[in-house]
Amino acid sequence: MFSKPGSGPAVLRKVSQEASKVDPAQRRDFLKKGLVVAGGALAGVQFASTLNAAENNLPPNLPEWSKSLGAGVITNPYGQPSPFESDIVRRTVPWLTADRIAAISFTPLAELDGIITPSGLVFERYHAGVPTINPDEYRLMLHGMVERPLIFTIDDLRRFPSTTAINFLECPANGGMEWRAAQMDALQFTHGMISCCEWTGVLLSTLLEEVGVKPEAKWVLAEGSDGSHMSRSIPMEKALDDTLIVYAQNGEPLRPEQGYPVRIFNPGWEGNTSVKWLRRLEVGDKPWYHREETSKYTDLLADGRARKFSYVQEGNSVVTFPCPEKPLMQKGRYELEGLAWSGNGKIKRVDVSFDGGVNWKQARLKGLVLPKALTRFSLDFTWDGSPALIQSRSTDETGYVQPTFTQLREARGNSSIYHKNAIHTWRLHADGTVTNVQIS
Amino acid sequence: MSRLAKMVYVVFFLIALMAAMPVTAKDGQYGIGTPATASEIAGWDIDIRPDGKGLPPGSGSVEDGEMMYEEKCASCHGSFGEGVGRYPVLSGGEGTLTEERPEKTVGSYWPYASTLWDYIHRSMPFPQPQSMSDEEVYAITAYVLYLNDLVEDDFVLTADNLASVEMPNKDGFFFDDRPDTNNTGCMKNCKDPASVKITSEPSIATLQEEESVAVVEVAPEGGEKVYQQACLMCHGAGVAGSPITGDASAWSVRIAQGREKMVSNAINGIGVMPPKGGQIQLSDEDVASAVDYMIKQATQD
Repeated sequence: MFSKPGSGPAVLRKVSQEASKVDPAQRRDFLKKGLVVAGGALAGVQFASTLNAAENNLPPNLPEWSKSLGAGVITNPYGQPSPFESDIVRRTVPWLTADRIAAISFTPLAELDGIITPSGLVFERYHAGVPTINPDEYRLMLHGMVERPLIFTIDDLRRFPSTTAINFLECPANGGMEWRAAQMDALQFTHGMISCCEWTGVLLSTLLEEVGVKPEAKWVLAEGSDGSHMSRSIPMEKALDDTLIVYAQNGEPLRPEQGYPVRIFNPGWEGNTSVKWLRRLEVGDKPWYHREETSKYTDLLADGRARKFSYVQEGNSVVTFPCPEKPLMQKGRYELEGLAWSGNGKIKRVDVSFDGGVNWKQARLKGLVLPKALTRFSLDFTWDGSPALIQSRSTDETGYVQPTFTQLREARGNSSIYHKNAIHTWRLHADGTVTNVQIS
Repeated sequence: MSRLAKMVYVVFFLIALMAAMPVTAKDGQYGIGTPATASEIAGWDIDIRPDGKGLPPGSGSVEDGEMMYEEKCASCHGSFGEGVGRYPVLSGGEGTLTEERPEKTVGSYWPYASTLWDYIHRSMPFPQPQSMSDEEVYAITAYVLYLNDLVEDDFVLTADNLASVEMPNKDGFFFDDRPDTNNTGCMKNCKDPASVKITSEPSIATLQEEESVAVVEVAPEGGEKVYQQACLMCHGAGVAGSPITGDASAWSVRIAQGREKMVSNAINGIGVMPPKGGQIQLSDEDVASAVDYMIKQATQD
């Protein structure tokens, strides 16, 4: 069905490379057609006839779809995106992991608008694949240093007062492949381990109150029910603050890939702590130091020491247009767009540079500006065909300014893997293509 | 009935009523949820702490662990813990944490031996998590410690001595102290334009190579999809002696038995392979499509 070689960004790059050989006057037309062809090829042969008929459907002619009836209701009981958008999908990088079961896929950030990530495009991170869980057989156990250990069904959890919040979810390894050098050739792979959804559930503090936490309790262990039984120690301070026990995402039951039927969600914190397919919460007086908080998800520094329990995803940002998947088609006016986020609160401002960080302009924040959520920013600019080094830099409400890569490396070295939040650079070439670079 | 008898009756009735009421209704604010029994908790409470809290009684020797490790672990982690493909390296790497390419292993990086017991019991072996007995977990843990020169070859690991196994990097970790950078947010003439140099970018050669090998993959359909979901983790690497995908000679004996027999083995399980590769939610047709995919891989040029 899908032609694997040359899908997605590779196609876009090829198209834009071809475009650079074409007479500038005809370039826009070429790019437009080229992209339609690329999209059609991805979607499959059924669109070939549509392409041939394209001219007949343009003004002054009446398009085919205006002269006939379309599909009726319930043709798709659960609606799907237009088949013409079938290349807006999660993608993986095979060499990153040993197999597809304990692996990662990335959100196509370049293709999305606003701040909400559609549930089906939220990046995936599994350690033992996606379990199939019948909600009737689901139980959440809450025990340990509590007065009344309890077991909850889904119906039980839904009886408690619910809380809804829009928060980003980011894997702390997002951008981790870029620590030593620019390596990935698409926004989807440099920053695609992030998403932002509306999450609904019951506050963990409500459940902890229900079971009665003993005074000496300081930590909560969250444990999944998938084959990996993912486990993380969460300090009581966070558990009593904004940690949610989530059963709904973007208005519908949690997706299987996101932990159906129930996950824990720690707003602003590294995604690994938001354990999916949650089965158990144990209250204790010390952290457990399990594999995912010792061997993994600790930040090794240049001096050989490692930072542990580095939960917060600090201030970050990236330009989503232009980017490698979205080159500039012609000279003229554009609206640069990007996303900023901070695990410490709201985004206060974003600055953009076109000269590799020598001079900066303040961008405007668009739409909702929420704490611990993706925040969209934009800046109008006119492209005269000059090459540029495009960067964005976020400042959050605590005053934290996103660091340059030089500053981050001075503080940590190159071996941390996790929590790479440095200012990112896109190189805009004279032909309008965009590549990933790092600069001094 | 006398008044006294009535009062006694009412008091007894109230006591009986209170005893019958769920504890939660009395104590929790909402009275939602069912009390977790000791046996329910015991079945799921698997976590182990560095101080040994949570360890079940039992023991296992390095000697016993060697055979078990070879059978259950070596196909991914290598006979000496060196790692196969991109599966984790378990041993070596001492003194590399400050090097350009640090090797973070059990011996070079992990701060506590308890983590090893907990993780092996919790998640391993990869295709069949929580299938091992406590004795097996003790023995394999002992053997991995031995592979890292942390215990002698006659060592026997027990619930009592695990917490006292000292890990070389136990003092190598510190609590989060970020922020550790201080960008001042300069707006104008922040650096010399001449100092702005490109230090790295994915090379053109790399890009062309990536295009030809399709670094950007869309998930496959049909038999290949099922294969990647249920079969790849073992048949990709030859875990537990399974025939490796595409290995014509290893598969020829199976193919000689006929497709029907192969599909039936895949559905019902054979030897150490669990039914449907452990993914019982798959339909028989799905499993058959994956078998067809693997036959194709073994028979194509």
